[in-house]
Amino acid sequence: MILAAPAVILLLVFAYGPMAGLVVAFQDFNVADGVFASPWAGLENFRFFFTSGDATRIMRNTLLLNVLFLSATLAVGVMLALMLNEIRGKVTKRFFQSVIFVPYFVSPIVVSIFLQAFLAGPGGRGGLINDAAGLFGIPSVTWYTEPGPWPWILTLVKVWQLGGYMSVIFLAAITAIPEEVYEAGEIDGASRAQMAWRITTPLLKPTAAILLVLGVGRIFYGDFATIYAIVGDNGTLFPTTDVIDTYVFRALRTRGDFGVTAAIGLVQSVVGFVLVVIATMVQRRYAKETSIL
Amino acid sequence: MSAHHTFSRRSFLAGTGAAMTAVGIAACGNGSGNGNGSGSSTYSLLLPGDTPTDWTRVRDAVNEKLRADLGFEIEPQFINWSNFANQSLLKFTAGEDFQTSLSARWLNIAQLIEGGSLQPMDDLLASGDYGNLTAAVDESAFDANRWSDGNVYGVPAVNSAARIHCYVARGDLIDRYAGGEITSFDQLEQFWYDVHAGEGIVGYVKNNSVFDVLGAPTGTMFAEGWESPSMIPLYFSSDSLLFVPSRDAASSGVTDAVPFWEYQPYVDALRRARRYYEDGIINADRLNVDSATAGALFKSGGAATTWAITDGANTSAHLSQLEAAVPGASLVTLLPFADGMDARPNQTFQADNLVVVNAAAADAEAAMALLDWVSIQENHDLLQYGIEGTDWTPVGEDAYEPTSDYANFPGYALSWRIPLERRYSRMSESEQAWFEWSKDYNNFTQDPFAGFIPDLSAIETEHAQITAAIGEYGNPLWAGAVDVDEGLDNLKHAVEQAGLATVQEELNRQADAYLAGQ
Repeated sequence: MILAAPAVILLLVFAYGPMAGLVVAFQDFNVADGVFASPWAGLENFRFFFTSGDATRIMRNTLLLNVLFLSATLAVGVMLALMLNEIRGKVTKRFFQSVIFVPYFVSPIVVSIFLQAFLAGPGGRGGLINDAAGLFGIPSVTWYTEPGPWPWILTLVKVWQLGGYMSVIFLAAITAIPEEVYEAGEIDGASRAQMAWRITTPLLKPTAAILLVLGVGRIFYGDFATIYAIVGDNGTLFPTTDVIDTYVFRALRTRGDFGVTAAIGLVQSVVGFVLVVIATMVQRRYAKETSIL
Repeated sequence: MSAHHTFSRRSFLAGTGAAMTAVGIAACGNGSGNGNGSGSSTYSLLLPGDTPTDWTRVRDAVNEKLRADLGFEIEPQFINWSNFANQSLLKFTAGEDFQTSLSARWLNIAQLIEGGSLQPMDDLLASGDYGNLTAAVDESAFDANRWSDGNVYGVPAVNSAARIHCYVARGDLIDRYAGGEITSFDQLEQFWYDVHAGEGIVGYVKNNSVFDVLGAPTGTMFAEGWESPSMIPLYFSSDSLLFVPSRDAASSGVTDAVPFWEYQPYVDALRRARRYYEDGIINADRLNVDSATAGALFKSGGAATTWAITDGANTSAHLSQLEAAVPGASLVTLLPFADGMDARPNQTFQADNLVVVNAAAADAEAAMALLDWVSIQENHDLLQYGIEGTDWTPVGEDAYEPTSDYANFPGYALSWRIPLERRYSRMSESEQAWFEWSKDYNNFTQDPFAGFIPDLSAIETEHAQITAAIGEYGNPLWAGAVDVDEGLDNLKHAVEQAGLATVQEELNRQADAYLAGQ
C-alpha cells in the first residue's frame, strides 16, 4: 500500500482531480468569473458541436484515421520484429533496430517540413515527389489541395514514426518465447519462414491484443501533434483530416470558448470509454485465451 | 515497526504529500509580474512577429532605463504573425497575466471586449498621470476608436491618417519588364505574367488573406479597388463572413447588407485569384505557409511583388535582405490607382493597431505608465531603433540610419506615435511619396459606416459557426486553391446551415440603427 501511494496520489491529483473541470462543459464559462460564478448553460455548449454540421465528418475521420494508424503500425511492427529477429549478426541487428527506431524521436514539426519538401517546393510548386513524377511524364499534383490521398499520406507518416517503436515491443515479446518451441519446430522439419509464421506470429497475439485494446481506448483521440503540424488550418484538407482534437483546438483558438471545447472533449472521452469497454468485451468473448483484461 | 527503520509509513506519506503540494504550488505560478532578483517587477507584453535580431541587448538597455524611471522591467513575448490572433485571444480568455497586447477590429477586439478581457482607459487617461501619452496621441484619434459602449479600449498606434493595402515590388524587374513604371492594375497584371515567363518566379507572394481578394477598399487581387476604391465591407469580425452594404445606404438609411458573393466585383476577384493560382502567378502554398515563410520568398528574390501597406515600413522591412540575395535589386511601393494620387479611397479611420491593456494584468497602471514612457522621444527611439550610436544614427531632422542588425521592432504594437516617428534613411522615393500622401486626412473619403462597430453578443454561436465555415471553405477560395463555383456553393451551404439569416438580420438591424443615429 505504501509503495502504491505515490502512484495512487498522482493518479488522483492528475487524472481524477481535473475531471471536476468537466463542469465547464455545462457552463457559459468566463475566466474572470471562474468555475463557481460562471452561469450555467445546460447543453448549449454541446449544441455548437452537434449543430455545426461537422460532427459526423469529424467523428468519421477520427475513427477512420485511427483505425488506419492502429492497424498499419501494428502490422508493420510485427513484420519488422519478425524481420529483425531473423538477423543473426548482433551489430547488424542493433544497427537496423536503431535506424527504424529513430523516427519515433523526430518532432512532428520536423516531419511536416520534410513532407513539405517532398510534396511541395518553394512557393508551393514542385516538391521531390512531383519532380520525380515529372521525369516519367506524370503531371504534378498540388497535394495540399487534394484531400483524397491524405489519410494514406498520414498513415505512411505514422508507420514511419511508429513502426520501429512497435517492432521493439514485439521483439521483446519474441525473445520471451521459449527456445524449446523453436527446437520442436526444427525437429518437425519446419523452415525458418514456417516457424516465423506458425510459431512466432501466433505467440505474439497476447502482445498484439493488449496493444490493440490500448489503441482502441485512444481511438477517439486524433493524433493531434502530427495531424495539426502537417495540416494546420488548411481547410481544403479538412474533409479527410479534421479529427476531434484538431477541431477542438481550432474552436478554442478561434472562439476562445472553454465551455464548447470542454463539451467536445467530454463527448470524446465518453465515446472512448464506451469503445474500450466494447473492445474488452469482444476480446473476452472471442479471444479469451489471449485476453489479459 | 522495528527500531532500525529510519523512514516510517507516516513520514513517507507526509513527505510525499508535502513534496506534491510544493510542486503543485510552484506549478500555479504564471511567470508574470514576478520579481527579477533586482528588486523590481518584470511584466510580460504580447508583441506580434519574430524576435528582432539583437533584441536581448536592446531589451537590457530598455530595462535599465525603465528600472531607473519606473521601477519595473518588461519581458515581451513575440508571437509569430500567423498565430498572433489566435494565441493572443487564447491568452486573454485564459486569464493569463500580461500587461499589453496589439488588438484591432481586424484582429479580435470585439470578442475581447465582449468577454470583459480589456481594461477601459477613459478614467486612466483622464487622470492626468499620462501626459506624454496624451500629448503624443491626438484626442480625435482616441475618439475615432471609441467602442460602441462609449469607452476607449486601446491607444491608437498609427503613424498616418490611414493605411492602404498595396504592393512592394522589385524596382529592377519593373525596369526590365514594365518600362520602369506601373500605373494601373492591368499593367501590374501584365508585369506579373511577363516576370513569371521571363524569370520563372511568382508575380505575387503572400500567406493567405481575405483582404487580398475582397478589397477594403483596395486588395492586391481586387482590380475594382484600384479603379474605384469605395467599397468597405461590414463584418462582425474580419475572420468571419464579409457583407456588402447597399451603395445608397447613407442616403436611404437602409443598409441592406448582403453576403460578399452577391457583389460581382468580389466574385470577379475570386475568379482572378483562381486564374493566378492555376497560371503560377501567385504562390500555391498560401494555405500552408506562415507570413514569415512567404515574406522570405520575396526577400530571397523568389517573387516580383509582395503585400505592403502605407505605413512607411516597407523598404526597411525588405531591402537589406533582398540586396543580400539579389545584388542590384531595388524596391518600389506601388498603389496603381486609376486616379493616381488624386484617388480618395473610403476609410473608416479606425486604427489598424490599438495597444490594449489586459483586464487581468498584474498592474494596469504600470501598463499605462509604460505606454506613457514610450511616448517620450528618447525612450521611443531606444525601443524602436536601438541604442543611438550603436544601432542607429540620426539623419537630418526626422530620419535614422540603421548601423547594426537591430531592426523591425513591432512599434505598431506598443510605441508608434505620429510626432515621434523617424523615417528610414533609405526609404524608396515611391514609398516616401505614398507615405506622405497617407498622412493627409484630405486624401480620403470618410466611409458612411466609419464609426460603426457591431456588437456580436446576440449572435455569438451563429457567428462562431460561420467563422469556422469561413476557415474551411472561404480560405481556399481566397487562396485560389479551389474552383470558384464549387467553392462558393460549399461555402454558401455551410454558412446557411450555421445561421446566415440570423447574423445578416442582426447586422442590418445594428447598421440601420447606426445610420439613423448619424
